[in-house]
Order: sequence, then structure tokens, then C-alpha cells
Amino acid sequence: MRTLLRNRVALAFGALFVAIVFACLLAPVYAKDVAHTGPNDNHITETVNVGGKQVDVVSPTGVPIGPTWKGRFFLGADSNGRDVAVRLLYGGRNSLEIAGIATLITMLLAILLGTLAGYMRGIFDGVLSRLFDLVWAYPAVLLGVALGVALAVGGIDLGLFTLHSGSLLLPAFVIGIVFFPYVAKPLRAQALSLREREFVDAARVQGVGPLRIMLDEILPNLTSSIVVFVPLIIANAILLEAGLSYLGAGVQDPNPSWGTMLADGIRLIPGAIHLVLVPGIMLVLTVLSVNVFADGVRDALDPKATVRGRL
Amino acid sequence: MMGHRQVHRTIQASIGTLLTFMLVVGVSACGSSSTSSGKGPISVLMGTAPDSLDPGLGATTQSYEATWITYTGLVTYAHASGEAGTKLIPGVAQSLPTVTNGGKTYTFMLRKGLVYSNGAPVKASDFAYAIERAIKLGWGSESFLTENIAGAEEFQKGKAASISGIQTDDATGRITIQLVAPYGPFLNVLAFPAAGLVPSGTPMKSLGNDPPPGVGPYEIESVVPNKSFAMVLNPNWSKDAIPGIPAGHENIDVSIVSNNQSQAEQVLNNSADVFDYNDTIPPTLISQIESQASDRFAKEPTVSGLYFFLNTKEAPFNNARARQAVNYGLNRQALQRLDSGMLQPACFFLPVGMPGHPTNAPCPYGEPNAQPDLAKAKELVRQAGLEGAPVTVWGGSRAPHKEFIDYYTSMLNEIGFKATEKIVADAQYYATVGNLSNKAQTGFLSYSQDFPNPLDFYQLLDAQSILPTENHNLSQVNDPHIQSELASLGPIPSSQLSSVVPRWQALDEYTAKQAYLAVSGYEEVPKFFSDRINFGAAIFHPVYGNDWSSLELK
Amino acid sequence: MVAFVARRMGSLVAVLFAITVLTFLIFQAIPDGDPALRMAGRLASPQQVQAVRVQWGFDKPIYVQYAKTMEKVLDGSVISYSQQVNVEQEIVRDLPPTISLALGAGVIWLVFGVLFGLLSAVYAGRWLDRLLSVVALTGISMPVFFLGAIMLYWLGYKWGLLPLGGYVPLTVDPWGWFTHMLMPWVALSVVSVGVYSRVLRANVLDVMREDYVRTARAKGLSERRVLVRHVLRNSLMGIVTLWGLDFAWVIGGGAILVESVFNLGGVGQYAAQSIGRLDVPPVMVITMLVACAVVVLSAIVDIFYAVLDPRVRL
Repeated sequence: MRTLLRNRVALAFGALFVAIVFACLLAPVYAKDVAHTGPNDNHITETVNVGGKQVDVVSPTGVPIGPTWKGRFFLGADSNGRDVAVRLLYGGRNSLEIAGIATLITMLLAILLGTLAGYMRGIFDGVLSRLFDLVWAYPAVLLGVALGVALAVGGIDLGLFTLHSGSLLLPAFVIGIVFFPYVAKPLRAQALSLREREFVDAARVQGVGPLRIMLDEILPNLTSSIVVFVPLIIANAILLEAGLSYLGAGVQDPNPSWGTMLADGIRLIPGAIHLVLVPGIMLVLTVLSVNVFADGVRDALDPKATVRGRL
Repeated sequence: MMGHRQVHRTIQASIGTLLTFMLVVGVSACGSSSTSSGKGPISVLMGTAPDSLDPGLGATTQSYEATWITYTGLVTYAHASGEAGTKLIPGVAQSLPTVTNGGKTYTFMLRKGLVYSNGAPVKASDFAYAIERAIKLGWGSESFLTENIAGAEEFQKGKAASISGIQTDDATGRITIQLVAPYGPFLNVLAFPAAGLVPSGTPMKSLGNDPPPGVGPYEIESVVPNKSFAMVLNPNWSKDAIPGIPAGHENIDVSIVSNNQSQAEQVLNNSADVFDYNDTIPPTLISQIESQASDRFAKEPTVSGLYFFLNTKEAPFNNARARQAVNYGLNRQALQRLDSGMLQPACFFLPVGMPGHPTNAPCPYGEPNAQPDLAKAKELVRQAGLEGAPVTVWGGSRAPHKEFIDYYTSMLNEIGFKATEKIVADAQYYATVGNLSNKAQTGFLSYSQDFPNPLDFYQLLDAQSILPTENHNLSQVNDPHIQSELASLGPIPSSQLSSVVPRWQALDEYTAKQAYLAVSGYEEVPKFFSDRINFGAAIFHPVYGNDWSSLELK
Repeated sequence: MVAFVARRMGSLVAVLFAITVLTFLIFQAIPDGDPALRMAGRLASPQQVQAVRVQWGFDKPIYVQYAKTMEKVLDGSVISYSQQVNVEQEIVRDLPPTISLALGAGVIWLVFGVLFGLLSAVYAGRWLDRLLSVVALTGISMPVFFLGAIMLYWLGYKWGLLPLGGYVPLTVDPWGWFTHMLMPWVALSVVSVGVYSRVLRANVLDVMREDYVRTARAKGLSERRVLVRHVLRNSLMGIVTLWGLDFAWVIGGGAILVESVFNLGGVGQYAAQSIGRLDVPPVMVITMLVACAVVVLSAIVDIFYAVLDPRVRL
């Protein structure tokens, strides 16, 4: 912890990430008080005052205005005359929410199943390891695309709960599933080796049940690994969501996300490049800040680990 | 060192030689117009590959652009721009048919002496073969054949070995077609390339990569699927073969370039000749083109409409005031901008260029080019007691239709409804809104003509078209006045259409007042060529777009 | 050795089977919706939908459906109904751009990843190292399609230095092939260069601390010789594994994202377009084939690993 606090660069980027999250959470405030428009309000045939002149928000041939650096249309407009800055913040809420929930799903599944497989061994391990290997062997983007496309039409009904096709939980669910083996396998390996240690043996001899052992002895020793993984998964989840939404297999219209905004912008190249730059730079800054912070965490907790940056 | 006089004379001599040379070459180049001038080939770009170049299969506009000048049927369209191009003229038949038996029997006589592009003679029985082939192959619009020609449905289901409703006599050249019931636009159906003649015995399988011989100014060769193909002047086509079908001028190389930006730039800098009218020119380029190349760019109207359907069987649009409010509130300028400026704002259901489009009537709910009357719209919603009424707006994911829906939803919210949009994958859109169990209240609707007969469009408002799935009448219109008009106007053959145009116009004005749809306008498409092409002489056909046989190099 | 290879092959086949089953389940067993309708596409007539239903066995139990699906895939007779095109033939036609993309990018990131990694390690702690670290980190944090779009806009449209996308076959015009592939290659490589240089840097620094390197230094070999001979050879294994996995990632994901931006017309773009059309047969076949290719690749890497290091063959 102290090592981390001494790493000023990591802390600075960590703070940047928190600032971005905060700004996105304040989207409604920005929309109401600064931009005076919502994320879905169209202003196609309106004009806005730029440098003393009244300029079309969207030109007669459909070209939207670039950044005005003023309250209204601070970062420009999109082809529907919507305020890009407002959509950026609302889209950020969605993108970050999905990444967060996906990370939660990944970590929960990985901790649960990885510990179970590593500690219980036998048939548990046999089945679970095969499952990990199968999902892990399947290329991440393709799996995400396949699941995303398949579920995009009708949603999914898992008995316990239903995810409708417009829900944000759907891409979160897909991403969570895609990433869990990347964490489950290392955790399993660790649980496997921890199992052979003396204090676990001692507990077993004393007659402590397996569930108690896993909770009291194994899990606490996995904490540092878990903490190292979390920012890594968050970063990759943000990127995978952007990729899936770009392809149309992630966030569905009309919900904005950084990925869908990028898709719209790339489609209009070479016109209106601000529609590509704005969500793109935001994405890079966010992921970069998570990655730098993740580096710092890893340095502090486990300097010898060579965890790969991208899954 | 040459003196001035000598230089002068040398130049004169050179010019003289040059002129003589050009004269000789020019004279020898004039002659039968079915040989190219040697300056070609013309390079045509397409954004999407034709679904198939086999006339019995192809059903997209890209496919028709190539096949209509390669496979001529009994009748075809006049090669002219605008409404003149909607006129049907005899093709491989000697003249327009005799229609008897209350509109159920069509009799043609085949022209004598016609040959295919491979030299084989054309027989009357080839027509029956071509129709059977189109049905066997599963042509996308085969229902026009199976629903109308007697015995065609039995043939399709495999219950009959041939189509009982078609009788041909190779000796006399007589062709007789029996219909199930009188169908006014039947001649238009016979003008489809799928009804174009191919030699009997042409294999009953997809020949998209090596299309069969046909009767027409061109033949299709060198097909590389999804990449390119060539239109070569038919050596066995004499320019007098069929009056009304001119010979082509140049060979044509067609390449698929799916990037619209790249396509437009190639035509702008003259490295390619023809831009695919089905594609959109990127908005930033349009201004550049309008200033730099205005002499070779024009916005051509097409007979296709962009609408929003308003389901008259579900709240809130079962209330006429709600529908009127939508029409008052619709900002067609906004939609025009979303369509890169290629939309002609309008309020009538039948587009310009379709016989029956009202030419003198005012729009009942505000002029299309003016700013919308949002205050009146809000007032109407309030009067109807529908403020806050929930509305789900349906749309497909393809741009710019999705953007239209984004705007439309925003407008509905502005006038007092509580609208949310539901975008589905483009491929599923019509299947989804066409399924009555989804109870779609409103959503995007676009329709392009199959042929220039208003009955084609009015099936969208025909109560008999309402089906539980694959429904086309999305507003679920069941209006007795419309039904009675359709019953009497429907069977009138296309050749007599001009006599009943005033009645169609009156019907269309009536439809506008009922506000069964919110009409955005009619799509315009770009006629955009390089400076090598004679722009004014090139025909833009109302049904098939760029008429490649009319393209000539300057 | 033989036993190891045999065992590896066995588990490979098992995984391939599992992948095909998983793909099948994802696409065919989606709740809600008539799979025949989905397969047949929008323009299908009721007869065509029925024909699809019979062909793919949708009216039969699920294991029969699976068998019929695999039969069609292995036969090369999967038809995309919305396009009337044989899917596998289309995939073969679209392979050259994808392979050019993967191989070219693979070479670039290997070379530059190793180069940057070595430079960072040699100059550890100094400004070059910090600069390369920043570059590496930014590369990892960037979505490939965003980078591709930015390059396309500036290098292509604004400054006209490179072509605006599209693919030119190597056999037709080698220089054209190169200029058209350059931006896609760089877009894909940036991510992996970042990862490689960081990993290699850590590996090299680790190995440099090892005893035998110090011994080698003591023996009087020059710094560079020490590096190249001992350090690189020992880092090789890590690099090989990483490269194999990354190559798999390009085919399995990077290609689908980058090809659309540059309109390369490869397998990835075909998959992306099919997704947009909700055209299921191509997406299913491509997913299956690519996943299998990836698994085979990692098996080859594993075997190669075992050849290099006997300790692995346990």
C-alpha cells in the first residue's frame, strides 16, 4: 500500500480515472445547466451563435458543426444535431457501467469457480477446467460477437432473471462471460498450490469443512492476485465493449456509448472528424489511466508478475 | 535554325496533316453504331454487387441496371428520362398485346428474325421457358408471376410439368397468356428482365457467373463475383432490330467499389466514369461537387417515398387528431438534411413521376418546404387528450433510416407524446413490424416502385393486404372509399392508365387528408458522371436509373 | 516426445469438437425465434423457409440438428440465404487480405516489439525507456479501429500520403499491395508492440540479473554480445508463446475490427457485414473456423515449446 502511495504517476492517473467517472455521473447536471439540452434532443434545423454569426447546427447537405467551445455544442454536434459533449457523458455512463458490471461478473465467477476447481480438485476440477479451457480457447472478440449477435435480437431468459434486448446488462453479461477464464485459470493454479501448504493441511486435520477452509485460508491469500486483476479487467472490458458496440453486437440503439459514437463517426469520415476524435480520445484517456494505475498496483503488490497488458 | 516563316509553314503543315488524319479516322469510325468508337470502355462503379446477373434470379436495382439492356421481354420501357420512360413499348413482340376476355387473356405475336447474342434464333416457346425458369430458380419477385398467370402456382408447387396458362406456337410466333384474374399492371410484370427471353434448354440453375445469351444491345461477360463484370456490345444486335431500343455506344466495365467516398472521388477526378445512383455521395463531397463539377452532377427524382406509418388500429394513432398532429409537426427540412440533402420534401403518398401524383392540390397539413407548425401539433395532441401517451417508434439499424427515427422520436416527444425508439437489425425490420402481434404503433417505412403503376404503391393502403405476418399495410388502413376505388381502378391495363389519372389523383388527395401516413418526401439520387461522358445525352430512366446504353463518350 | 504430441493432438480434437458444439448452441439454440426464419433471411418465401427447415433439420431433435449443421460445414455447402452465396467459397475468396494483414502485422510487431523491448531494457530508467513505456502503454489503451480511423483520416484523406483503403493483391501490384496494407498493419501492430516491449523489457531485465549473464560479462564478452546471446535466447520462449497467441488474436478479433475501417474485403469484414445483416450462416461458419484455427495454432505453439524445452513435456 505504501509503495503504491509513493508512486505519484500511478496515483495521478488513478485520480484521472475517478475524475472521468465523476464527470460522467454528473451528465444530467451538465445537460441541464450547461448545454441546456438532453442527449437525445435533435436540433437539426436550428442555428447557433458562433463568433457573432448564426451558423447552421447541421448544414443543408447534412454536415454537423464542429466544437464551438461554448456552453451549447461545446464539442460540436452530430448529424442529428445532438450535443456531442452531452452524449459523451451519458455514453460514458453506459460504457463505464457496463465495464463495471462485467468486471464484477468476471471476478465473481472466477473467484467462485477458480477456488472451487483448485481446492476441490477431482471431478469439480475436471469439469470446471475443461470449461475454463473451452471459453478461454475461443477468441475473445469472436465469442463476444457471437453471443452479442445471438442475444441482441431476443435477449435471454435464464430462469432466475431475464435480460431484455435493450438492456445494458446484456453486453455486460456477454463481456463478463468472455473474460472470466482469464482470471479463473490463474486463481485456480494458485488455489491448487495453496492447498498443499501446511496451514491448510493443519486445518483439514482439525476437521474444518472445505467451505470454511476455502473462505478462511484460501481466499484471503488470493486477495493480492484479485486486486491486481481488477483494473486489468476493467480496462479490457471498456475496450471490448467499444469494439462490440462498434460492430453492432454490443450496446443497442438508442442507448449511446463510446463505441456506438465511434461507429457513427467513422462512418462519416472524412467529414466531421470531431465525431471520431471526441469519443476516441476519451476512451484512450480512460483506459490509459486505468492501465497506469494497474501498473502501479501490480508494482506495489507483486513486482515480479509479468501479467500481459491485453487479453 | 528555322526562320519565322518556315516555322509558321511547318506548323500549318502539321495542323493540316493532323486534321486530315482526324477526318479519316472520324469517317471510318462512323458507321454501324453497334461497334464502339474505340475510345471506351466506359467504367461504371457500383457500391453493392448485383445479387445475381442471371435474369431469372436477379431482383435488385443493381442487377436490373445490367439485365434490362441484355434480356428483352415481350414488352419493355421506352428509353427516355422522366415520365416518358414509364411508357411500355413492344420488345420482342411485334406490338402491344390484344387484351380480351375481360382483361384475362393477353395475345402477342413474336417479331420475326430475332436472334440471341450467340446467334441462335428466337422462338415463341422460349418465353414459356423463361417464365418457368424464373419460377424454378426462385426469382425474388416471382409472386408477380405465380399470383397472376394461370397455372403458374401449380407449376411452382411441382404439381404440373409446365404452366397451363401460357400457350405458344413456334410456327406462327403466337404467344397467349391466361391470367387468374384481371390485373392492370400485368404488362409491367412482363417488362421485368426475369420475363426476358433466354434460349430454351438454358440450364435450370444459377448462372450468375456466366449469364445466358439474351436479346438486347449488350451481353454480360467476365463476371468476377462481388468484384467486377463487363457489358460488351452485342455483335448480333442490329440497331434496327427493335425500334425503340437503341444500340449501345461503348463497351462498359463495371467494378464494385463499396466505399462511397472512394467512388465519388474517382468520378470527381475522372478516373472512373459513372457513380452508382443507388449510393449516397458523402455530404462533405456534395458541396465540393456542386461547385467544381456542377455541369456533370444533377439530383434526379426517383419514384420512391419515405414515410412513417401510423397504425390506425392501435392507440394513439387510431385518433385522427393524433395523426394530423404528426403531419403538422414533421420537419421535412430536418429529414432532408439527414438524407444529405437528397430528399424532395412532400406531403402526398404517390411520388412525383408516378402517374396519379396530385399536381395541383395544396397540402392539407402545412406546406412541406415550410417550417412545421409545432404549436398546432401540440394543440391537437392536447385536444385529443393524448398528452403523455406512450408510443414505441420502430426503426431499422441502417443509416440514415436510424437517424430519421432518432429525429422522429425526438419530434413526437416535443409535441406531447412519450415516445421511445426501438431499433432492430435492418435485416429483420420489416419482418418485425409486419408481424401484427408486435402491435407496432409507428415506425419508418420506405417504398420504391416495382413499376410505374399507382396500384403498386396502393397495396400499402389496401385492406386486403393486411396479413398476420409479412404485413405490408403497416397503417392497417381499412377505408371503404379507398377499397371501392381500388376495385374499379385496379383492373385497368397499364396501356390505358393515362385516361384514369385524374381519378388516381383525387384518391391520393383524399389519402393525404386522412393522414394515414406521415409523408417525408421522395428520394433523390445523384446522376454523377466524369467529364468524358456526354451528360445531357445520358438518359436517367425512371425505373432502371442510369441507362447504360445511352452513355456516350464526348 | 511422440507421446506428448499424441496427447496434445487428442486434447486438440476434443477442444475442436467442443468449440463446434458451443458455436452451434449459441446460434441455433437461441431462445425465442424461428431459426429457420433467421437462417433463411428476410426475403424468403414460406416455401424457402420450409426448405431451410428441412435442410438444417430444425424439425428434428437437437443432436440431429448439430449433425446436419456440421455436415453442411464440412461439406462446404453452407449457403447464405440473404445473399444466395456459398459461404465457404466466399471465405476462400476473402482470405488473401486477411492473411496479408495477419502475417504483415505479425512481422512488424515482432520486430518492433523486440526492438523497443531491448532498447527499454538496455536504457532502463533513462528518458528513452520512459518514452517507450508511454508509447507502449498508450498503444495498449487504444482501440484498434480508432487508431485505424485516425490514420486513415490524416495519412489518407488529409495529406494524401497513402491510399484510402481497399486491397490490391500482391500478385497484381506489389507496391500497391504494400501501400494499401501499411496503415492496417500499423494499426494492428501498435497494440502488440506495446505488450511485447513491456514483457520483453521485464524478461530481459530479469535475465540480466541472472548469474550466468554476470559470468558471461566477467568472461569479457562485450555488452551487446552478452545481451544477444544469452538474454535473447532465454526470452525466446516467452516471445514465441506470445506471438502465437497474438497472431491468433488478430485472426480472431483484430481483423474483424480493422478490415471494416479500411474496407479490405477480407474474412473479418465479411463477418462484420454479416453481423450487420443478421445473416447467421456466415457468422457461424467464420466463428467456428477461426476458433478452430486459433486452437490449432496454440497446439502448434505448444508443441514447438516442447521441442525447445524438454521440461515442458511432462
